[in-house]
Amino acid sequence: MFDIIAVDISGRHKLHEEYLMVCAAVAASVTADHIEKVKQITIRTFRSKEAPDVHDVVKMVENTVSALKFKGTIVTESGDMYNKPQWVIDSMFFQDFKYQESMGERRCMEIAHHVSLGARKLLLKELEIH
Amino acid sequence: MKSAILVKRNEPREEDKRNQNQMSELRELAEAAGYEVLGELTQTRYPDRKFHLGRGKLDELAQIVADLVPDKVIFYNPLTTMQIYNISETCRCETIDKFQLILEIFATRATTHRSKLQVELARLEYELPRARAVISLLKKDERPGFMGLGGYEDSYAQDVKNRMIRIRKELETIKKDNESLRILRHSRGFSLLALAGYTNAGKSTLFNSLVDEEVTARDMLFTTLLPTTRSLNVGGRRVLLTDTVGFIEDLPHWMVDAFRSTLEEIFLADIVLLVVDASEPLETIRNKLLVCHQTMWDQMQDVSIVTVFNKKDLVCEEELHMKIQELSYLAPEPVAVSARNMDGFDELKSRIDNMLPVWERVSLSIPMSEEGMSLLAWIFDEGLVHSVDYGDNISVDFEAREKIISKAISMVEKLS
Repeated sequence: MFDIIAVDISGRHKLHEEYLMVCAAVAASVTADHIEKVKQITIRTFRSKEAPDVHDVVKMVENTVSALKFKGTIVTESGDMYNKPQWVIDSMFFQDFKYQESMGERRCMEIAHHVSLGARKLLLKELEIH
Repeated sequence: MKSAILVKRNEPREEDKRNQNQMSELRELAEAAGYEVLGELTQTRYPDRKFHLGRGKLDELAQIVADLVPDKVIFYNPLTTMQIYNISETCRCETIDKFQLILEIFATRATTHRSKLQVELARLEYELPRARAVISLLKKDERPGFMGLGGYEDSYAQDVKNRMIRIRKELETIKKDNESLRILRHSRGFSLLALAGYTNAGKSTLFNSLVDEEVTARDMLFTTLLPTTRSLNVGGRRVLLTDTVGFIEDLPHWMVDAFRSTLEEIFLADIVLLVVDASEPLETIRNKLLVCHQTMWDQMQDVSIVTVFNKKDLVCEEELHMKIQELSYLAPEPVAVSARNMDGFDELKSRIDNMLPVWERVSLSIPMSEEGMSLLAWIFDEGLVHSVDYGDNISVDFEAREKIISKAISMVEKLS
């Protein structure tokens, strides 16, 4: 079993002249082909006038992950990090980092994706931003 | 024999080893399609919109083509219609990319009606977004209709769409037949096993050794295109093992869709045996496992996976152990076997046995009559009988699926 933290960010596109982003981090124990246990989920919101670059994304991910009680390797989709090589991104993080590989990691990423997307939709609805 | 020149554009800052592996894979694909490779050309740069390679490199390619006169130029990278047109015009030679090459292999190996339909569908899916551009290039000077106001492009694209709908419908019918066959097999007490893995991992060789069959197995990519199913005895239980088509890197989404009915054998199995070639370098195995995970993860639900490290006779014990250890995060339930020497099969079978859907064990007393005897014969067919005692009644102790047991109990009640 491996402890991972799957992270996904929704809303990286301009809406009313700003970027309204939601970052979700899922701490879980996974095996190669399935999720053993989801231990904790945290959500953070971020607003920015400028499009986020790699450094901003790394900061957002670290900020969200710091709210978790559990440790693990941070896992993201390579597209979230602008398809930069893994070693480049790894050197920017304080924790271990890797791109999604196994089925278990991909399923966990799927959860993070649904959480961040659902939370963002709910926020936009509550704040009446269309 | 047909001949070809292979061309690959390397991404800047990509690892050399990876580039070499991709080129050798293209070479193997070309050989599998029956091409003699006359030469290879690579360039490291970002893609050019018009020619994909740089203008100077393309002139070099044109010179090589003029000297060696190959039948085709094969690109590793996906090309747009305009790029294909421009390269063909400059080199005066037919140009295709990797996906067209894979389609060509599939087309030559397709023997049954189903596989022919699948190849045709994949070809049309590939062609559709390009159809408009191809037709407008071909019919540049011609305009049909009154005062030349019409267009060939739409009608051709519509034609392609119609053909795709027709083929999909026909494949749907075949799929239904296969589905009902699968349900029948399940209800008859069979558990389904599927072999999956990267192309040329040795799936067919393993299949042949496990079920003692003579399916064509060769050291060539995409030897198997149609799933073959045979029964296998695992700890007294009959399971059905299916040999399937292999995966390949960057297999586009439309191709997975076209071959969906073939891949469904994997997605709907009870256990998947994920075969990898243990004799390859660690990084290659890792990349191939990644491709397998990428292709399967979205489609599979509640399927157990056993990773079979095949060709263990070609690596030493220590190296094999190290590879299994390093890849543990990608390779669930690892078992090392040698399909050629039939080594490690006992462990593989016991691992499969542990993961098969649970059978229950019951003892029944069946009345001694003609109907009772036929019920006993049916139990022998569907389950695993541990003991039978013929007295006034027939006492039978057996293991079977829950469905079979409840059916047997209700039949006994009816008889007595």
